[in-house]
Amino acid sequence: MQFRRGQKIEVYQPSKDEAWESYMGDFIGCHGIITDPDTAINDPDALIEVSLQGMGTHRLPQDCLRPLESHT
Amino acid sequence: MEKGVHMAENVCPVHGTILHLSRQLDSGALTEPRTIRISEEILKLLEEISNGHAGKDHLSGVNDRVAEFFKNPGNPQGLKTGTYLKKVLEKHTPVFESHIETGNCAFMDCIRLAPSPCQMACPAGIDVPTYLSLIAEGKDAEAIEVIRHDNPLPWVCGLVCTRPCEMMCVRARIDTPVSIKFLKAFAAERAMSHGLYTNPPQKPLNGKKVCVVGAGPAGLSAAYYLALMGYGVRILESLPVPGGMLMVGIPRYRLPREIIDREVAMITALGVEICYNTVFGKDVTRDSLEKEGFGAFFLAIGAHKSYQLGLEGEEAYKDKGVVDSVMFLKNVALGQRTVPGDRVVVIGGGNVAIDAARTSLRLGAKEVTIAYRRTRSEMPADVEEVEHAEEEGIKFAFLTIPTAIVGNEEKVTGLNCLQGELVKKEDSDRLYPMPVEGSDYVMEADAVISAIGQFVDTDGMDQFQEVQWTRRGTIEVARASMETSQHGVFAAGDAVTGPATVIEAIGGGKRAAEAIDRYFNGMPQPRSPKVPVRYRREKHIEMPASTKMVLKRPEMPMLNIDRRRTMFQQAELGYTENMVREEARRCLRCDICRRCGKCVEVCRDKMGIDALKFGYMDFDNPGETDFRKTAENCIACGACVAICPNDAITMEDRNGERLLMLCGTVINRQKLVHCESCGAIMGPQKYLDYVNKKTQGIRPVTQKALLCNSCSREQSAVFNVATHPVTPNLKKEEACNFEGVKK
Repeated sequence: MQFRRGQKIEVYQPSKDEAWESYMGDFIGCHGIITDPDTAINDPDALIEVSLQGMGTHRLPQDCLRPLESHT
Repeated sequence: MEKGVHMAENVCPVHGTILHLSRQLDSGALTEPRTIRISEEILKLLEEISNGHAGKDHLSGVNDRVAEFFKNPGNPQGLKTGTYLKKVLEKHTPVFESHIETGNCAFMDCIRLAPSPCQMACPAGIDVPTYLSLIAEGKDAEAIEVIRHDNPLPWVCGLVCTRPCEMMCVRARIDTPVSIKFLKAFAAERAMSHGLYTNPPQKPLNGKKVCVVGAGPAGLSAAYYLALMGYGVRILESLPVPGGMLMVGIPRYRLPREIIDREVAMITALGVEICYNTVFGKDVTRDSLEKEGFGAFFLAIGAHKSYQLGLEGEEAYKDKGVVDSVMFLKNVALGQRTVPGDRVVVIGGGNVAIDAARTSLRLGAKEVTIAYRRTRSEMPADVEEVEHAEEEGIKFAFLTIPTAIVGNEEKVTGLNCLQGELVKKEDSDRLYPMPVEGSDYVMEADAVISAIGQFVDTDGMDQFQEVQWTRRGTIEVARASMETSQHGVFAAGDAVTGPATVIEAIGGGKRAAEAIDRYFNGMPQPRSPKVPVRYRREKHIEMPASTKMVLKRPEMPMLNIDRRRTMFQQAELGYTENMVREEARRCLRCDICRRCGKCVEVCRDKMGIDALKFGYMDFDNPGETDFRKTAENCIACGACVAICPNDAITMEDRNGERLLMLCGTVINRQKLVHCESCGAIMGPQKYLDYVNKKTQGIRPVTQKALLCNSCSREQSAVFNVATHPVTPNLKKEEACNFEGVKK
């Protein structure tokens, strides 16, 4: 999935990426907004900035995220 | 509870201890420096235990510090505090352990702090609603003071932040987000101009020294907070100027150099030393710095190397028209103002590509085109930046796949391209640009600038052998503390995240400064990044619902287009003062109204009125919000006020009216009715009608006049006495009392 700025997402599973830290398990089930997608090369492997409701803003691997709605 | 430990039985011991220590510290009861220091450290650890951010070493960290109190028997304050804490910890160890292990508080006292969504969204955790309220009141310097608790570069961020806060702004669910970024810039400019932009008080020097590598936003941020904590800080900067990418990556029409200089000067005024033109690992080494007494290192080296395009002709025409965007923007920033060519093609779709294109135009290029492999909607650049570029005449060639750079041996003459189309690959829902067969063409160009991404330059980093690197070529850290795998070495900014945002770098620098302080003091590091801190609760700003709804986000006045195309003058001219004050008043004050929805539920489900149309409360599916509509049905009963857990909804009788306010917005205003007998306030007529309607079936109407409950009871009593004979067995005194009531 290619994420875009402003898109609503859910953290729905732990990531298999090395950047996933144990505390990020607290984010599973949280909804949020993509605030900064990978900035230059549309890399599916890039960490992207997500602001999660009540949890703050974090850079997360993309495989733990899924969109909540189609981007308009 | 044992003697000497005055804590109510129904209060969570973790919460109670935090309250006790906070009171001791805030009241000035503790005066002995060592006792204050230990108490502050314990308080910090306890707060993390309370809000679910503690690690497994936190409780032993607290116990170790409590033991410190008893090492100095001649200090009665320390002994008293230590004795109190020791008793609490001995009695309630399982409760503390449970908080750490489960993150839950059985007493429901340790409710996680819930700052506003904008504050939570800010990677630096700035208390946005507080500073917006201060700006609305014209208190710009105070606003800057609040911002600098979390971000030492408010002016810079006011111009270039990617503003995740605005993306989470709740006001956007009603119309448009509050223009948080520009308000910050205004306040900083005003405070600086009036000489009111000052540094907070610094702690005395503690004799410990930290070396920061890189004077970019992360390095400056860490240096600022470390200096405030009393550390000696030296920044090593390989460039001749401060700011890192702020200075050499962001063009001057977006961020004037003077702004960086002024904010950096505030940091150096704290005693931070910046050594320019100094390359770590070449001009100075880790060993030499350690010999000088530097006990910790903070690596904020950024991501200053450009990815190569990998196209045929790229190497052959390097410096003959082919340049990478990082080098191009850096050279321009450092004073090289030669036009790259008449026809410039920039390859890429991010903000750096836009910056390179707009800079080329200002240097005198006649035609500038941005070639991007995907479509406009996939461009990662800010929408506003793209719009500004288009206004200035930059052309966009979407679905353009460069294949080779061509030239006449002397210089570049063009870029071979293929037309692309977006297709889905098997097992992926991503769209990939694929060339259309036979669609090749040449885009004529005198200069080709690549802007397809950057990576970290590792030169000099071999001095830290134990620092681990990720497969992305960035420094591996624990995100909560920004500590690398080498003890005493910390890192943040683009070197950790890859090319990211200024505000992330600032937030990382701040987090690292706190972690370095913990490192020196032997305190355990938190398990997860700290929740932002709310510093105060500013009072509501009162305004009618119609004003709250009608106020609109102002358009940014821009420099005229001819100047924008020819000069490096700041393109955004900034808001006027009136615009700023009004825009700040659009803030919904989500630091007070937590959008729990209890008011909406009680009004709709319990009272059956459904007057509160607050559709903005739902994040996933926001509905209609119109504060003006409340007055249509609201009876001002006060049920919403009673149930609000945070005093966000308030009710006030003033000048013969009852006002219902949501965070200061007057959502209902009704004339009050007074008792015809005693003159007491009875409430608005709508409310009385509601009560009468609800109680009509269960009590007879004894009178037509408007009477308060007290007078109504009195009249009922008179009526009853008149119609029902009083028992003759009443004692004399009781009869007298009854007479008294009658009067």
